[in-house]
Amino acid sequence: MDNKAPATDSPVEYIQHHLTPLSAGEGFWQINMDTMFFSMLLAGIVMFIAYRVGKNISPGAPSGMQNVLESLMDFVNSLVKEAFPKPNKIVGPIGLTIFVWVLLMNAMDLIPVDLLPKLADMAGIHYLKVVPTTDPHTTFAMSLSIFLLCIYYNVKIKGFGGYMKSFMVHPFGIYLAPVNFVLTLVEELAKPLSLALRLFGNMFTGELVFLLIALLPWYIIPIPGSLWAIFHILVITLQAFIFMVLTIMYISMASEESH
Amino acid sequence: MNVTATLFGQMITFIVFVWFIKAYLWEPLTDAMDSRTKKISDGLAAAEQGQKKIEQATIEFSTRIDEAKTKASVIITDAESKSKTIVEEARVSAREEAQKIAKTSAQQLEQEVNAAREKLKSDIAALSLLCAEKIITKEVDKNMHDQIINEVINK
Repeated sequence: MDNKAPATDSPVEYIQHHLTPLSAGEGFWQINMDTMFFSMLLAGIVMFIAYRVGKNISPGAPSGMQNVLESLMDFVNSLVKEAFPKPNKIVGPIGLTIFVWVLLMNAMDLIPVDLLPKLADMAGIHYLKVVPTTDPHTTFAMSLSIFLLCIYYNVKIKGFGGYMKSFMVHPFGIYLAPVNFVLTLVEELAKPLSLALRLFGNMFTGELVFLLIALLPWYIIPIPGSLWAIFHILVITLQAFIFMVLTIMYISMASEESH
Repeated sequence: MNVTATLFGQMITFIVFVWFIKAYLWEPLTDAMDSRTKKISDGLAAAEQGQKKIEQATIEFSTRIDEAKTKASVIITDAESKSKTIVEEARVSAREEAQKIAKTSAQQLEQEVNAAREKLKSDIAALSLLCAEKIITKEVDKNMHDQIINEVINK
């Protein structure tokens, strides 16, 4: 039982060790190598599959991966059509990308918590966070990109003046403009913040629970471990779905003509 | 959490990812699905039209068949009646002809009989004259001879 000793001896250290990203650089130039690596790896895999399917589309009789992607597209499209009165070319791809990417990044959570860090440890890498969505950088990167797109749509549809006006007159009318401005600003800022923190929080706590389960004696681990993993499949899918739906909703709200 | 290069790196990854999916998967696949939808709906419409055409053709077919049947029966009854009348006419004309022939032949026969009778009469007369001449040349016993001649003629 020597190889389990460090975990059970100092659980706090074990958990902290697991939650420390593999990072390089200081301050602004801090780059979380593990987050970047795994998110890009998953994105690359999806892009590769997408490229192959996109190059060899058979319009008549789809099969295999094309079927999977088509049903995913239909699923995303039905949500987009509900939210958008007029067709929008970019929301569908964004929704699909978010759903697939977040789902896959979350699914990294289901790989046994010690497996990849141990392998990396053997290869000389001593810190490794496997799940990119437990890194707020990832979730904020997505939510801020969407936030910027929302601002773009707001300005494009309402005009800059119209957008500013919506800050002033909503929700109490023009006579309480300062209050309105603060309230709307908070409301707008809360959107990307809640979007990013919801996903991050769910994945982080999920990972934490896996780590806590891993601290149990080996003969107890399978029961809570498998139960939590099964439950976590639901959480993973749900969080990916919520992220996608809220993204679509936010963009549709931003591209509405007026309040 | 600080604003770090990781954040921007992830943002760039995300944007590239979205662009890639849009360009290489979403748009071609959407086109393919749209064209398939169109093809299927076109095919269904064509099938429906074909079905309709078949129904129409069936109806037309049966009406035509009915028409033809009635026409045929009309023609048959027509022909039957015509043939009957023709046969009847033929019978009547044949009978008339036969009667005519019989009549003319009977008349002819009668005429011929009459002619023969006349000729016989004249022949007999000539013969009797010849006989008379002969008898007269031999002996003239007018009363007795007259009696004989009359007897012959009357015969």
